[in-house]
Amino acid sequence: MTVKTHEIDPFTLEIVKDSLLAIGDEMFIALAKTSMSPIIYEVLDYASGLTDARGQLLTQGNGVTGFIGMLSFMVKETIEKYGKKGDLQPGDIIITNDPYGGGGSHLSDVGLVMPIFYEGELIAFSANKAHWTEVGGKDPGSFTNDATEIFQEGLQFPCVKLYEAGKINQALVEMIKANVRFPDLSLGDLYAQVAALKTGEKRMKELCQKYGKEVIKASIEHLLDHGEKISRIALSTLPKGTFTAESVVDTDGIGNGPFPIKVKVTITEDEFVCDFRGSSPQVPGPVNCSYTGLVSAVRTIFLAVTNPSQDVNDGVFRPLKVIVDKKSIMSAERPAPMSNYFETLCASVDLVWKALAPHMPERLSAGHLASICAVTLTGNHHDTGEPFLIVEPSVGGWGASPGQDGASGQFCVSDGETYNIPVEIAETRYGVLVDEYRLRTDDGAGAGEYIGGKGVIRSYRALSDGQAATVTFGHHVIKPWGIHGGHDGSPNEFYVVKASGEVDGPYGVYARYPLQKNDVLKLVTATGGGYGDPYKRPAAQVAKDVKNGYFTVEQARDLFGVEVDPETFTYRELDIRQDRE
Amino acid sequence: MRVATDIGGTFTDLVYLDENGKIQVAKSHTTPPNFEKGVMNVLKEGGVDLAGMSTFIHGTTVIINALTERKGAKTGLITTKGFRDVLEIARGNRPDLFNIRYKKPEPFVERYLRQEVEERMNYKGEVLTPLNEEDIKTVVEYFKKEDVEAIAVCFLHAYANPAHEKQAVKIIKELWPDVYVTASHEVTKEWREYERTNTAVFNAYVQPIATAYIDQLHGELNEDSPSSQKFIMQSNGGTTTFAEAKKVPINMVESGPVAGIYGAAVLGKLIGEKNIIAFDIGGTTAKMSLIENGEVKVSTDYYIEKNDRSAGYPIKTPVVDIVEIGNGGGSIAWIDEAGSLKVGPQSAGALPGPVAYGLGGTEPTTTDANLLTGRLSAKNFDYDVDMDRVRKAIKEKIADYYEISPEEAAMGMIRIANSNMLNALKLISVRKGHDPKEFTIVAFGGGGSMHAPALAKELGVKKVVVPLASPVFSAWGMLMTDLRHDYIKTYIRRFSQLDLADIQNQWKEIEEQAIRQFNNEGISNDKVEFQRFADLRYLGQEHTVKVPVPSGAWSEDDKKVIIQKFHALHEKNYSFRLEEADVEIVNLHLTAYGKVPKPEIKKVERNSTLEEAKIETRPVYFEDVNDWVQTDVYNRDLLPVNKVIQGPAIVEEKSAVTVVYRGQTVKLDEYGNLIVETEGE
Repeated sequence: MTVKTHEIDPFTLEIVKDSLLAIGDEMFIALAKTSMSPIIYEVLDYASGLTDARGQLLTQGNGVTGFIGMLSFMVKETIEKYGKKGDLQPGDIIITNDPYGGGGSHLSDVGLVMPIFYEGELIAFSANKAHWTEVGGKDPGSFTNDATEIFQEGLQFPCVKLYEAGKINQALVEMIKANVRFPDLSLGDLYAQVAALKTGEKRMKELCQKYGKEVIKASIEHLLDHGEKISRIALSTLPKGTFTAESVVDTDGIGNGPFPIKVKVTITEDEFVCDFRGSSPQVPGPVNCSYTGLVSAVRTIFLAVTNPSQDVNDGVFRPLKVIVDKKSIMSAERPAPMSNYFETLCASVDLVWKALAPHMPERLSAGHLASICAVTLTGNHHDTGEPFLIVEPSVGGWGASPGQDGASGQFCVSDGETYNIPVEIAETRYGVLVDEYRLRTDDGAGAGEYIGGKGVIRSYRALSDGQAATVTFGHHVIKPWGIHGGHDGSPNEFYVVKASGEVDGPYGVYARYPLQKNDVLKLVTATGGGYGDPYKRPAAQVAKDVKNGYFTVEQARDLFGVEVDPETFTYRELDIRQDRE
Repeated sequence: MRVATDIGGTFTDLVYLDENGKIQVAKSHTTPPNFEKGVMNVLKEGGVDLAGMSTFIHGTTVIINALTERKGAKTGLITTKGFRDVLEIARGNRPDLFNIRYKKPEPFVERYLRQEVEERMNYKGEVLTPLNEEDIKTVVEYFKKEDVEAIAVCFLHAYANPAHEKQAVKIIKELWPDVYVTASHEVTKEWREYERTNTAVFNAYVQPIATAYIDQLHGELNEDSPSSQKFIMQSNGGTTTFAEAKKVPINMVESGPVAGIYGAAVLGKLIGEKNIIAFDIGGTTAKMSLIENGEVKVSTDYYIEKNDRSAGYPIKTPVVDIVEIGNGGGSIAWIDEAGSLKVGPQSAGALPGPVAYGLGGTEPTTTDANLLTGRLSAKNFDYDVDMDRVRKAIKEKIADYYEISPEEAAMGMIRIANSNMLNALKLISVRKGHDPKEFTIVAFGGGGSMHAPALAKELGVKKVVVPLASPVFSAWGMLMTDLRHDYIKTYIRRFSQLDLADIQNQWKEIEEQAIRQFNNEGISNDKVEFQRFADLRYLGQEHTVKVPVPSGAWSEDDKKVIIQKFHALHEKNYSFRLEEADVEIVNLHLTAYGKVPKPEIKKVERNSTLEEAKIETRPVYFEDVNDWVQTDVYNRDLLPVNKVIQGPAIVEEKSAVTVVYRGQTVKLDEYGNLIVETEGE
């Protein structure tokens, strides 16, 4: 028997719905609190949430946007493999990181799924997915720049039972222990994930106890329908039509590329369809992305243009459709290497964004750095002699939009509640001195009526010999795009300034660049694209930009048509600005 | 006589104990921008004999207002070469994940006023490049030309060695004696350059305004009360003198709200409750804070303007941990585009206020819902309440949409508001590993007592205390404060390599600094009390746990005890322990109290009966039975001591009511507090 929604008062439905969201939040906090890996509790590179019995996402806590929607694919795979055969029971926990089958990202992201039963009935799943510091493979840290097949990238968990009716599969645990470099960390993360799942299960059962199963089920429907309703209302306000864009994925890390990618977005009264057919086939290096990853990319922009602040559930995504060729760079299949899938995911977000931005300026800005800009630096600490390992994303410039200059020094769209590492902490922990951490203001890029946000320069001076830098900067061969007459930004790139004074670079992607003492790794990220004709930027603002050092006197004259006095910062508008009127 | 005044958004509150130990309260309008006028007004209205006032304690919103309204001084920043943009890059995070047009918080100092000088320390505080004094001179000339009013100085690793900052300040003061200068190490000695820079900048930014305000107030008070001691409430739950407050005004950022939290802890001690959830509902927000073992939790993880949509700004100054949500008496109920009922965070504020005020408010608020359900009585308002207008607003804006009665809609509004607050209460209790059964809620502010009993039932809290003078409880809390200073210093050392003599020197240095500061404030050494903490973590981890550590020189045994304590606290907070891992000190934290005499709280003597206290019996809508219930209503001021009333019942006082549910009892205790208890299940 099911109770119809209208038989329960609307406020109870609302309160239960809020309680479900609160459970999602609690599971999210619980995982961060119990994890031992900085990439989880500092970078928040994980997601957790609840789905209904059919695997529809009810609530998801996110630290980064890249995982949006991946949980439901894991659960659906679990239902497919076990649920349909009646092979799920209370206390089961399934483990998966198979990128092609429900995992969705790369092997480093390990997902767990737990069915929740109440009074003998399957009512929901609790699920999470977290970036483990180590899953084995050819390189420390597992994800790598130059793998050629997935077997080099670590241990694969093909949706198997970690717990059966509450009993742990000890053989599996020992396999993990034997195959990863820091078993304490990896198993620590595993148990943290298990604890968070159990928190979700416990709270869900309490909720059932308090309100009754039928009210919970009705509230779940209410929640999904509410999400869909909000989405459809937002969809109805979007411009209708077909919008296209083309771009590239720079390189696969082993010398191939750039690879063309393209999208056709069709928006109708009740559908939002992204068709990526005609994009590059899957590639030899590890920059391949799975279909699930592609769906996450599309969902990110879908949320951005519909209702970025709403609670996320599968109801919200009901109007969404994604079409892509089989075995493409964004729907890769076994055994393609996937380590750096996030660069193609990022490029796919950028692609849909680029197709829609000129038509939805109130929601979408010009192009941004569009790369995680990952940096890995290893070596021995100059004082303690202990090995150190930096793994960090980098901040860069975002694009301009009407009424708003782009933000400077922000992580890319695929990150989110991600924090940079303070210079004072970096210098204490790692064998480096940071020569500078400043805005990139000399490129004159991203000019416009509203200007692109500035990229950032961060320079690591090696303080010991024998260090090695692995840099993965996408969007090195193309620049963040400007719109409506706004100029393009600048590319992501890095240099090495040797102790001898010799400068090597610029590069985008590089595996294990050797650094000796006093060599400087100069990381330079993109300035975002501009919006609108630079001649329309108010002259007083241009003079202020010069005073603030965002542009030089020459750039003010050449790009904006404003003559600025370098001493007094008084200004004169050049005729060319009038001619443009 | 000790007198406390607390400036709020709408009202300036006054609380003092008269010669007979009886509590006296008064309220007067807040008078921006000349806030001291409102203070003098409320002193007059409250009938305070200024000549007889021994101590004056003050909570103020001047600092937070200057920050949120961007009304501070034109501020320049001097920083290490290569790092002028630290303030603009900030941490790069984006809480509003899917908002492509996210607005990054703008730095309080524009780029042209962020100037670099040559100097450099390493992480050990060793000089790599000496300070170039010529650079300082050049910058000072430039700042003069630009009409800068306040200067912040923040150099890399100044927490480890402040020598260059001190040197820079000295030069600046010689060249420009009139300018306000803040060096980062004077405000915070913790690592993380963005957070420390921002804190120094904020202090410089508010210093001219704070100084002017304190001087004005001091001048006015001195006319009639030259000999009284004058203190200001700081964010750490303690006070400081006017003179010290002017040096680090950023310490007053949460001056008012924390006093109520501190008051709850003091009250707890008086009535024998050590574990408390302090719960304060005002017009626009609900604030809550967890007090464990009588200790108000103080940390430097404080931000302004930080929420789900914005990264906000960090202030590394000691602030009582408070969770605040947009749910108060004036919170507006609305229906979202897909038909869900929401309450807050938008508030009708004091003007126009709830519909009930009749001042032009048209949007139904929590207060209106409480009126329509009979919890509040129209007779207990300062305004002429037009109940028809209230009913009409709720009917048209809420009830009609769901095709229900206005009373049912009002009940729905209250339930949604309670659900919001319940989730926030869980956030600070259950989700932090605490069992609510072991806690007592102390409810205050205009709306605290109205909602707390319902929330206690839901949360599983057994007891709710509604203190005497609950609507002005923050000011009451101020009466009970001591002077307090917190000194936090980053000191990265592994326990395995700890030099016990060196760490004792560090502690001694900090304690001597505290003694000096208290002596300046007229507190003699025998009135000073210390409490030491260390922020500890496992090597390689980032998050720390605050651990109480012994005073005096540490022995090897002390080390072991500290480590054991850390393991236990870490497990409580984070659910695991790493017995094998090395433990690392990150910060040393000294809390120093300068004890002052407090008023004695007298017991209530009253020979009345429940019958005399009863005002009326009126219908009240209760959600647990989903119906109207004939409910007895009592006047708090006439309640006899220790006579138990069975719920459902309502106790009214000026500006507040306490709603007691079926299955709960209420009584007035011997100190005049209302005690609501939920019967065991």
